[in-house]
Amino acid sequence: MLKDITLGQYFPVKSFMHALDPRMKLLLTLLYVVALFLVSDFWGFLVAAFLIGLVASFSKISLKVVFRGLKPLVFIIMFTAFFNVLYGGGEPLFPQIEWLSWIKTDGVKNAAFMIIRIILLILGTSYLTYTTSPVMLTDALERLMRPLKIFRFPVHELAMMMTIALRFIPTLIDETDKIINAQKARGADFETGNIIRRAKALIPILIPLLVSAFHRAEELADAMECRCYHGGAGRTRYKIYSLGWRDWVALGAMVLSFAAIIMLRIY
Amino acid sequence: MIKTEHLSHFYSVGTPFETVAIEDINLHIKKGEYVGVIGHTGSGKSTLIAHFNAILKPTSGKIFIDGKDLWSEDKKQRIQTRFDVGLVFQYPEHQLFEETVYKDIAFGPKNMGLSEEEIHRRVEKAMRFVGLSESVLEKSPFDLSGGQKRRVAIAGVMALEPKVLILDEPAAGLDPMGRDEILGRIREYHQETGSTVLLVSHSMEDVSKNADSILVMNRGRCQMHASVPEVFERADELEKMGLDVPRITRVFFALQDKGYPVSRNVFTVEQGKAEITRLLKEGGKNHA
Repeated sequence: MLKDITLGQYFPVKSFMHALDPRMKLLLTLLYVVALFLVSDFWGFLVAAFLIGLVASFSKISLKVVFRGLKPLVFIIMFTAFFNVLYGGGEPLFPQIEWLSWIKTDGVKNAAFMIIRIILLILGTSYLTYTTSPVMLTDALERLMRPLKIFRFPVHELAMMMTIALRFIPTLIDETDKIINAQKARGADFETGNIIRRAKALIPILIPLLVSAFHRAEELADAMECRCYHGGAGRTRYKIYSLGWRDWVALGAMVLSFAAIIMLRIY
Repeated sequence: MIKTEHLSHFYSVGTPFETVAIEDINLHIKKGEYVGVIGHTGSGKSTLIAHFNAILKPTSGKIFIDGKDLWSEDKKQRIQTRFDVGLVFQYPEHQLFEETVYKDIAFGPKNMGLSEEEIHRRVEKAMRFVGLSESVLEKSPFDLSGGQKRRVAIAGVMALEPKVLILDEPAAGLDPMGRDEILGRIREYHQETGSTVLLVSHSMEDVSKNADSILVMNRGRCQMHASVPEVFERADELEKMGLDVPRITRVFFALQDKGYPVSRNVFTVEQGKAEITRLLKEGGKNHA
């Protein structure tokens, strides 16, 4: 079922990671992603993996659950790996076997590198969304982008749009599930036939989904107006974030790992 | 017709969201029976019925339709089951998508691979059952009123001519007139075609007016499955589950407790009126 997609979902439990300031978490994730791209050998990945292990043990969300979220991305990962092998140089990996001569040592090494990088990337960002509710995430984004206001960038509006979009993902997934079931009950078949047939089979799902999405948008706009929403100007916050000891500890761990990765790159 | 053995279903198995939807359900629904399925929001009613036409796969347990084990058969057979067991979901008007009402009702029969004439016959028949007039056939379903949309959606399932028709809250969100109309139509359909009907509702009044037997769901379990009077005899238990017997039935229970010789099987105001008139006539005789 669609409901079982765990990628990007928020898991509401109480843990060290959940209690971190979302602004700090966002910054740390950013640093982590940058660090991953600075890694130049497998030792660097070991540092990153160690960091993920720490995050996993301090978040009460097991790596098993997170790895399950990788499933839908297996194809993309394999695809990337394949092309890395295809365009890699170096010596053939199997010199005796003629038809496998396109597999070269450097290609395989690059591919392995890429796979590890992508997986670590997804794991790290997954932990951000697993431990931070969408509302907190966009809140943090709004705060961090505030300087852009000088350039008349609509920071608040963007954050509000993101909040709404994220808020409605589960609702729309539910809705899609229901519509799929209702059409299945009338004998709709989504699983057999060629690509054109399958694309056509989506019409009975997409049309009702669009209709209800528009309905919802209108209702939401009305509800917001009824509560006197008029954009970001003069709007105060209910929750004011402040950095605590946890945030500094987390930052410390991140900075140390970052430094370690840079050292490994230099030497 | 429908039989379940230790049927259980859990949602989101293996995640922190794991919940029990239904647990250890054992039932037997006979052919031609009109069953009211009643229970609170979240009692597992909708989950239960979604198993009867293979939309949901049980976490454990078995379902037999017409004596055949649903999940031991191959996929084609299960798709056939969807035509034998017609399921009308909650707010079915949300599933309408075609350009015209005719095409939307014909969607199911078309999926069955029937001939044009047969599809035409079925659409006409289903429209008659739900009380739609010919004039809406070429209209877009999105231009109709809420009540009419609902009827189109129900007709879309009736056009499958299923042996079992299951309706999940078909009257939810309709005004009292629309509600009586829809429920009346379903009752007529049941009587005319002799098919098995399951009506999911949380209104005892609606269920008692229409069904032969009641299936009471509570916290994912099937608490009772018996004839309407038998279930109402256990009014105290029902109350503990947050359910109620129809008010008029309560009045007659109370009357009998006070010593009046009235029947306990009064579920509607009309029946109540008849019973009181009878009592008054007899009472008049006694005093004379």
